[in-house]
Amino acid sequence: MSQRGRDQRGRDQGDQNTRLLNPLVAAGIGWATLVALVLVGLFGLWGAPPDKVQGDAQRLMYLHVPTAWLAYLAFFVTAVASALYLWPRTRARVWDRLAGVSAEVGVIFTALTLVLGSLWGRAVWGVWWAWDARLVTTAVLFFLYLGYLALRRVSGDPATGAKRNAIAALIAFIDVPIVHFSVNWWRTLHQQATVFNPALNPEIHGVMAATLWLGVLAFTLLYVFLVDRRYRLAALEDGLDDRELDRAIAARVGEVQTTGVS
Amino acid sequence: MAAVLCVGAIGALLLLGLRGNIVYFRTVSEAVKTRTTEGTHRFRLAGAVVPGSISQTSGGVRFELTDGKKTVTVDHAGDPPDLFKARAPVVCEGRWGSGLTFVSDRILIKHGSEYTPPKVKIRPSASGA
Repeated sequence: MSQRGRDQRGRDQGDQNTRLLNPLVAAGIGWATLVALVLVGLFGLWGAPPDKVQGDAQRLMYLHVPTAWLAYLAFFVTAVASALYLWPRTRARVWDRLAGVSAEVGVIFTALTLVLGSLWGRAVWGVWWAWDARLVTTAVLFFLYLGYLALRRVSGDPATGAKRNAIAALIAFIDVPIVHFSVNWWRTLHQQATVFNPALNPEIHGVMAATLWLGVLAFTLLYVFLVDRRYRLAALEDGLDDRELDRAIAARVGEVQTTGVS
Repeated sequence: MAAVLCVGAIGALLLLGLRGNIVYFRTVSEAVKTRTTEGTHRFRLAGAVVPGSISQTSGGVRFELTDGKKTVTVDHAGDPPDLFKARAPVVCEGRWGSGLTFVSDRILIKHGSEYTPPKVKIRPSASGA
């Protein structure tokens, strides 16, 4: 790769900053996440009453619903960042990196959603898994974004790769609304949405609803915290790659010109 | 162009693959309507357990399942799940036996999206009690 091409790749617009958030803000979010998660634990296990039908098994909702919401949010951020990368006027390396970072967090939360849902299903339905539309589309979501993350690791020209990845992210996002509305479009074993139901009329007891909202808040904070940390790591890794490339080029140039290049 | 092709292929696969399989269960009325043409084909049947109809059999339980319009007898082999009880909404997997008896070997509890602690009414109905 030529020196000019490398410069374009390494010093894209807006890439001087390796941080998404101000360090103080990030630390504040970290502490708020910790407090909120502890509160969810306390309310989820003791504060909220057991469900009339499901008993204590229903408490899994306080984790299962927030992790699912987080997966949606993470993939939405990936889609928006990918669109911003594809749009020539806003194209910047920060969007490509954010898309990848958010998808990584999203895949972890999708996996958590599936595992927690499986435990809840075993306790209430009586089975670990059912081939209904909600469960299958969620599994598809997991594998779609796993594929997207694999695609991001394919080597080649970074600029072309980033465009290809962005298009893939937009295609994968089609599944998110399908997952959400699957329980309304098709008959499923999975129950319909409690909070974001079509009538927007949650049928959930007060303390339970409050605990659920607390869970959504806690996991949203956790998402922001994780994305910020992972983004910084990704940016520093890219910086390291660039520096090693610089060094390799300098060494090669030094071999050719006896005067050397610093 | 490639993206359009990909989306089209995914959509076609989804539609072809899911056609007919996407309905996870049938209601009692639907199943009764297709009783004669169904034969011994396996399917899932959903309804509520009729109170007072549950009885133990040598290999499991027998109960009546209703959707409010039609009622069938379910002959289930094996232990029902923990949350199985009168009025519980359930999905049974199996096939038609003799007459309007459904021979089931798996019961799933289908719970709703309402959550409430015991003895609390979320929305008291406007008409009272």
